[in-house]
Amino acid sequence: MELFTPELGLVFWMFIAFAILFIVLWKWGWPVILKNMDERADTIDKGVEYAKEAKAQLDSARADAQKYIDEARKQQAEMLRDAAKMKSQIIEEAKKEASEEAKKVMDAAKVSIEQSRKEAELQFRNEVSKFSLDIAEKMVRNNLQSDKAQSELVNKLLDEIENN
Amino acid sequence: MNSRIKITVLAILAFLCILPAEMKASGSGEEGKVNVKEIMFHHLGDGYGWEVPFSHVYRIPLPVIVRAEDGKWITFSSSRLTKMEEVADDATGKTETEAVPQIVEIEKDGKTYRFVLAHVSSHANKLVEIFPADTESDKTRLAAAQSDSTLSGEYGVDRVVDGYVLFDGKYYREYRPLDISITKNVLALFITVIIVTAMVMSVVRWYARKGLKAPRKGMGFMEMLIDFIYTGVIKSTLKDKSKKFAPFLLTCFFFILVMNLVGLIVIFPGGANLTGNISITLVLAVLVFIVTNVTSTKHYWKEIFWPDVPLFLKFPLPIMQFIEIFGIFTKPAALCVRLFANMMGGHMIVITLTLLIFIFAAFGDMAAKGSVVVSLLFSIFMLALDVLVSFIQAYVFTLLATLFISMSQEDGHHESKHEEVKHEQLPSEDTEVSIPATK
Repeated sequence: MELFTPELGLVFWMFIAFAILFIVLWKWGWPVILKNMDERADTIDKGVEYAKEAKAQLDSARADAQKYIDEARKQQAEMLRDAAKMKSQIIEEAKKEASEEAKKVMDAAKVSIEQSRKEAELQFRNEVSKFSLDIAEKMVRNNLQSDKAQSELVNKLLDEIENN
Repeated sequence: MNSRIKITVLAILAFLCILPAEMKASGSGEEGKVNVKEIMFHHLGDGYGWEVPFSHVYRIPLPVIVRAEDGKWITFSSSRLTKMEEVADDATGKTETEAVPQIVEIEKDGKTYRFVLAHVSSHANKLVEIFPADTESDKTRLAAAQSDSTLSGEYGVDRVVDGYVLFDGKYYREYRPLDISITKNVLALFITVIIVTAMVMSVVRWYARKGLKAPRKGMGFMEMLIDFIYTGVIKSTLKDKSKKFAPFLLTCFFFILVMNLVGLIVIFPGGANLTGNISITLVLAVLVFIVTNVTSTKHYWKEIFWPDVPLFLKFPLPIMQFIEIFGIFTKPAALCVRLFANMMGGHMIVITLTLLIFIFAAFGDMAAKGSVVVSLLFSIFMLALDVLVSFIQAYVFTLLATLFISMSQEDGHHESKHEEVKHEQLPSEDTEVSIPATK
């Protein structure tokens, strides 16, 4: 039966031992451990969250980059197309302009030719009229050596004017 | 690697097979009669000295502190309780050194106090103060005991007379003093306290030095245990109140666990059957009782004195109240007995298995050799099982203490909480069962 009867001395020391252990661990042990364990768990949780976020960010950044690249490609193609279009347009325009210019030059040439022809004609007429006047003068000088002939002519001319 | 272990085990077994034969040769005819009960109680119980490893004779002396009949406190070394004596063995003629109890005489303030380690007495294996049985009443009572044939044993040899102790064939009047000696168990308690403090503080030191770095090896194991109890048991049951009770419950768990494990180590720093001692478990249970009832809520007391049951069960005959009040005490009592019985049972089985060797040795060499192998294998198996039991019992104690505390913490606002607690009890029992499976 001695196994089943509590012993006062042992009970007394057990109380003291437990009290010492409890006070020591309660003051300096458990709170520190539990706090740190919680803190570390939080840190790890945060770390996982952060990694997830970073991965999401990276993924979205990658998608963005792809988008930009695609856009740039499209733009490049567009620009190339535009350039080609512009080139042909410019050539076209240049051609048109050149032909216009050529026409203008030709027109101008025509005009100047016409003008010089007219001038030549005029000059020729003047020459002709000068020669003819000279000839007429010479002839008139010969005919009008008398006053009678002169007055006859004047009368004739006056008749002409009056008839008109 | 595996074969090397096998060879080692076989070598040890072969060596041990020779041992009983040796013992038998050196022992005597009387040795064949092993007093199983005495050896078992000696190992399970407390002692005033602590056996030096591998020696049955020499003990580590410990201080004895007693309060004598006249109220004086007396201290002396436990080594004075026994003296070394050469005892001649009748059968073999050899002499052996043995520790023989003797009367300790202490002079204090001009008075002589005499103490002896009782053997044939109602306080067997305890220290008693003795006085000469020379008054008239002593003489008449002893004479009555001598002639009383209803008492067991032979007068003057092993007859226990109440209030008297037999020493050297003479009866003395005995007085059991108030005894707060530092016994084997008390010293083991302090060793346990030191071990637990060192274990917990090592984790604290890790945090102080390494901050939030993940702990390695032993630290990791400690933290796993702490987390297992704190998150798995305390937090899941007590919820927001867990911070308040965690220090007490965690201290309980580690104290019990270390006491259990230290008790399994056979030699000096261990070997004290602490949790298999009812005084220890009683204190633990009383502490749980105090914590449960002191911190309890109004709702808890209302449930006890006016529970939610049909009126005829609580008035005019307070049946439910009687059951509930009884329950307040039975819950911690169950804690006390469960831990005590489990641990003592484990120790008892190991000791019995070991003693089988000496019992079978009486039947001859072959029986002895065979029983050595069988006993040893079973003992090893039982010790391994006890390691598991040590953990489970510490866990169960903490779990039940947490449940009792959580029951006293209900504030009545959530009626479903009670059911929650009951639900939680089920998975925890599963864990208990599943532990051997994982092993």
